[in-house]
Formats: sequence, structure tokens, C-alpha cells
Amino acid sequence: MAPFTDNEVLDLIRMVELETLDIRTTTLGINLLDCADPDLESTCEKIYAKVVHHASKLVETADSVAADYGVPIVNKRIAVTPAALVAGASGASNLVPIAKAMDAAAKEVGVDFIAGYSAYVHKGFTRADHALFESIPEALDVTDHVCASVSLASTKAGINMDATARFAQVVLDTANRTADRGGLGACKLVCFANAVEDNPFVAGAHIGIGEAETVLSVGVSGPGVVRGALSRLSPDDDLNTVAEVIKATAFKITRMGELVGRETARRLGTVFGIVDVSLAPTPAVGDSVSDILELIGVDITGAPGTTAALALLTDAIKKGGLMASSSVGGLSGAFIPVSEDQGMIDAVRKDALSLAKLEAMTTVCSVGLDMVALPGDISVDTLMGVIADELAIGMVNSKTTACRLIPVPGLSAGETVEWGGLLGTGIVQDPGRYGCASLFRRGGRIPAPIQGYRN
Amino acid sequence: MGRRFLTAEDVRRLGGPAIAVDADTVVTPQALEAAASLGIQIQSAGAGSYSPPTPDRGPDAERALKTLSHLPEPGGAGSGDDRGVIVTVIGKNRSGVLAEITAHLAAADCNIHKVSQEIVEGYFHLILTVELGPGASFDSVKTDLEALGGPEDFVARAMHQRVFRFMHRI
Repeated sequence: MAPFTDNEVLDLIRMVELETLDIRTTTLGINLLDCADPDLESTCEKIYAKVVHHASKLVETADSVAADYGVPIVNKRIAVTPAALVAGASGASNLVPIAKAMDAAAKEVGVDFIAGYSAYVHKGFTRADHALFESIPEALDVTDHVCASVSLASTKAGINMDATARFAQVVLDTANRTADRGGLGACKLVCFANAVEDNPFVAGAHIGIGEAETVLSVGVSGPGVVRGALSRLSPDDDLNTVAEVIKATAFKITRMGELVGRETARRLGTVFGIVDVSLAPTPAVGDSVSDILELIGVDITGAPGTTAALALLTDAIKKGGLMASSSVGGLSGAFIPVSEDQGMIDAVRKDALSLAKLEAMTTVCSVGLDMVALPGDISVDTLMGVIADELAIGMVNSKTTACRLIPVPGLSAGETVEWGGLLGTGIVQDPGRYGCASLFRRGGRIPAPIQGYRN
Repeated sequence: MGRRFLTAEDVRRLGGPAIAVDADTVVTPQALEAAASLGIQIQSAGAGSYSPPTPDRGPDAERALKTLSHLPEPGGAGSGDDRGVIVTVIGKNRSGVLAEITAHLAAADCNIHKVSQEIVEGYFHLILTVELGPGASFDSVKTDLEALGGPEDFVARAMHQRVFRFMHRI
């Protein structure tokens, strides 16, 4: 047996005990294409039966791996084939029963979320995609565990602005239907440019059509660990040193994720998919990406220098992760979900972090405008404009970008909403006084950029 | 590949005193209900009554068994890392902690390979590299050790050596 030095041993103990190292999610992807049926009721039966059949041991298995390896696995989730693909055969115009079947299966097996109430419409709608869009507000209102996502743009296809406009309306309707819960429904709804097919993190998780029958992926987190490592640096260490420390830390947490993921997959008898190496903050003290940016050297998140610091952080995490595992996938980088990160909540409260700065930060982070609260009375064209800007960043830069925006009914800029739990505290951001009604009215598609033509 | 699912609709359509399904067919709960209310018996391939199949994880699933083949265990399965455990104890310094821990490990049929202890300002940390004997199980050793000490005394933890190897060795 290879001996380990005391420092190596204590390093790991400190990460788990003091720096909240955890595996944020183990997500079992389940292919539902074989559940398609001309009869919607039968489709729902099959979906419920298949999810329960494959995932009944997920929670128990993940808990046993966590106990054996001494690293907590916080969430157990399920990702399924985009529901619109499965529902197409039924010709149904209301797909809410599918969401209900997914929800019932999630409750039965005890996972916290099931994601994949989704559609790919970056180029156009099928009848089923259209039916899914129309049913999202009700589906997210009447279910507890279902998450929905749509792909609206890609570098290869451009931006489907008709779909983007329709999606903006869907977001507003979803928030309004769940007005009594602060627009909570919209927290479970996300849109993508360049959606990834193996993303284990909700709300955007789903299993793409190139994936195996079932596949287990993990999302590792650990902002607390990176923060801890950086806090031990001297203020005089240069940025090369900072990048090295982040890289080495990302390496360690990725290895941990791969070990846990592969062992969980082995015990379940399924294929291991990917490790998503993402710093995913939680409202818990110390578990903050914002704190890391401040340790790198900005006074407060949102101040000049923030985008540069975030670029360094995201890149160093990717490099450490890629060295550690050949199965890095998903979104991998740094998440900046505003309401879920105590440091960002404080920055918004102090007027340091504006919507415009957030948008700039998303050009270098791994996702996009995530968990951003907007005024409840925002017009549909302004909301579409915010989304389209974010999609354009993803499209042109060949990266994934996403929007999870919550127009909070009844609130205006500066007011606060408590969603509780992991979703945290939203402070309503000001989108400005001007809109884009003309752009909204035009519709159509923004053609794919020159970067998309690489054949 | 036979029928993947049997739904309530299928049961009503097929009818009859009995419906035979393939060994890997999943019968939905609604189909079982429908069959029960119509008095139809659902039989698995061997003519017995239906029991849910083990999940078919698809043609790629056998890869799951070779899941760590690119990172082989030193010494192969059943030896080396499989039996290695790192025990850490952290707490306020007092006499007899090392004796207490090692006595438990000896009783559990564990062989200690390395001992390292340091005391800093009234606190100590103790790190033991332990090999589980043939009669020892990781779960019981871990539960045993973690029950020792207390918040005002010391905290003992046991972790698989494999975790440390994954994190610190390339």
C-alpha cells in the first residue's frame, strides 16, 4: 500500500469536514424513446413504469456509496429523453399528463428532481414541441419535481426567434400561474443555446438521443474547497499561482467525483456517463463563487475586474478537471446562479452587480443568466430581448448559455423574494426602461454565424 | 427484442384468461390493475406468475463492470486498496487515545501499517494506515470507530484508502 503523507490525509478531511466538499448530484439518465405510444395514456404508463423500474434503487445505491467513501451525495436526480420526442407519436395537444407521470415516478423513487420535460426547437417546431411549449405553465404549476428546458439556439442553427418570443411568454405565464409562490414555477424552467445532452444539473438536465439506454452522471461542486485553498494564499502571490491552486483543487474534486460516479454506476449496473466539474454555489455560508472572485482580487462581485477574475476561474477549473478525468462533460466551469449565492445576493443588494454586468460575466462562465429575478410586469418583448442577448452570446462563442429568469409577480426592481431552500433569495433586477417591440414583432430566425460553418 | 411494455390498453385489447409476456417485459402498474379487475392472469415466460424483470440497462451496460479498468487496483481485486483504510482521529489531547483506538482495531482484526501522531497546542491529530484482516469488514470498523470519543473529546473517522489514492495520485 502506498503511504500517504499526513498533509495529504488531512487535506481531504479538511475538504469534507470544513469546506463542504460534496458530490452535488448523481443523475441517472433514462432513455424514454421506447415509451412512445399512439395513446397518450399508455405513453404515461410506460414512462412511469420505466422510470420506476430503472431508478428504484438509485437513492439507496447513492447513499451506500456516500457512506462507504465518506463524501456526501447531496442530490439524486433523474434526467430523461426530451418529452416532446416521446410524446410525438401520441399526437396529443396537451402533454401535462406526461409531466404528472414523471412527477409521480420521481415521488415513488424518492429523487428530488426529474428533468427532461423538454423540446429541441432551435430550428423549428414539431406539433409535439408546440404542444409541450403550451403545456409548460400548467405542468410546472401542478407538479413538484418536474423541470422543463428548451433548446432555442445553437451555433450551427442560429437563434429561433419565433421560439424565443414564445418562450418569453411561457416564462411569464409560468411565473403568473405560480404567483402565490413568488413565481417559483419559472425556477424550474430554463432555455439554452448549444444545449448539452449529458448535463446532470437541473433545471436543464435531460438525456440526449446519442446517449445509452441508461447512464449515470455526476456533478461535483466545491466552491468552498476552492475558496479555502485560495484563502491560504498570500495576497502577494501572482495570478499564475492563483490559477495553479484552482487547477490543483479542481483536479482533486474531479477525481473524487469520478470515483463516486463510477462506483455508483457499477453498483447500479449501468454505464458511467460524465463528471460535470462545476462550482455550484449554495446559499450556505462559504459555499459561494462570489467569495472566490473576491479572493482573486475584486472588491465585490460586479466591480470592474469581475469578468477577468471569472474567466481565470472558469478556465482553471476546466483544465484541472480535464487532467483528472477523461469523462468530463456537461457544463463544467463556474455557475453564477444569483439567488443561490450569498455573496451575489449581497452584491446585488449593494447595487454592485447589475443585470448588464451579469450578462458580461456570462460570456466567460459556464452557463448564463441563472436564477435572476425580474419585475413581474416586464413586457414580453423586453423579456425576449434579455433572453435573445444571452442566446447570442452562446451562439457566437460556440458555448452553452442558458437563461433561468423569474419575473416575480407583483414585485418591481429592488424588491426581495424568498424562494427558500437551495433556490435562495431573489432581489429583483432592473432591466431598464427600454424594450425591443420591433425586434419581437419581426420574428423569424437569426441565421447561424460564420463560426457555425466549420465543415 | 420482445415487447418492452404491457399497458392497461394492451391488457384490454389482448383479453383472454391469461397473457404471456417475455422475461424482460415491464408490466405497468395500471396493466396489473386492469388484469386483476378483468380476472386476467399475467404470466412470465416460464408460465409462472409475473414478477418484475431486473432492469435491462441496454447493450452498453456490461461496460459498467469494467468501469475502472483504466485505473486498476494495485494488486488486483480483493487485495491492496480494497483492504486499505485510513483512520484519522482529531481532538483534545489526553492520555490513552492511541491505546483506545488501536485496541479497537486489534479486536476487529486490523493490521496497522503506519502510525503518525502530532500534538499542537493541546490538540492532537492521529493518522493510522490500516489493513483490514480477512475477518474484518469496513462497515463495522467504521461504525465502531465513529462511536468512540465525543464532541468534547475526539472524533474518529475511517475512510477507504482508495479515496485518498484517487484524489492524490495520478
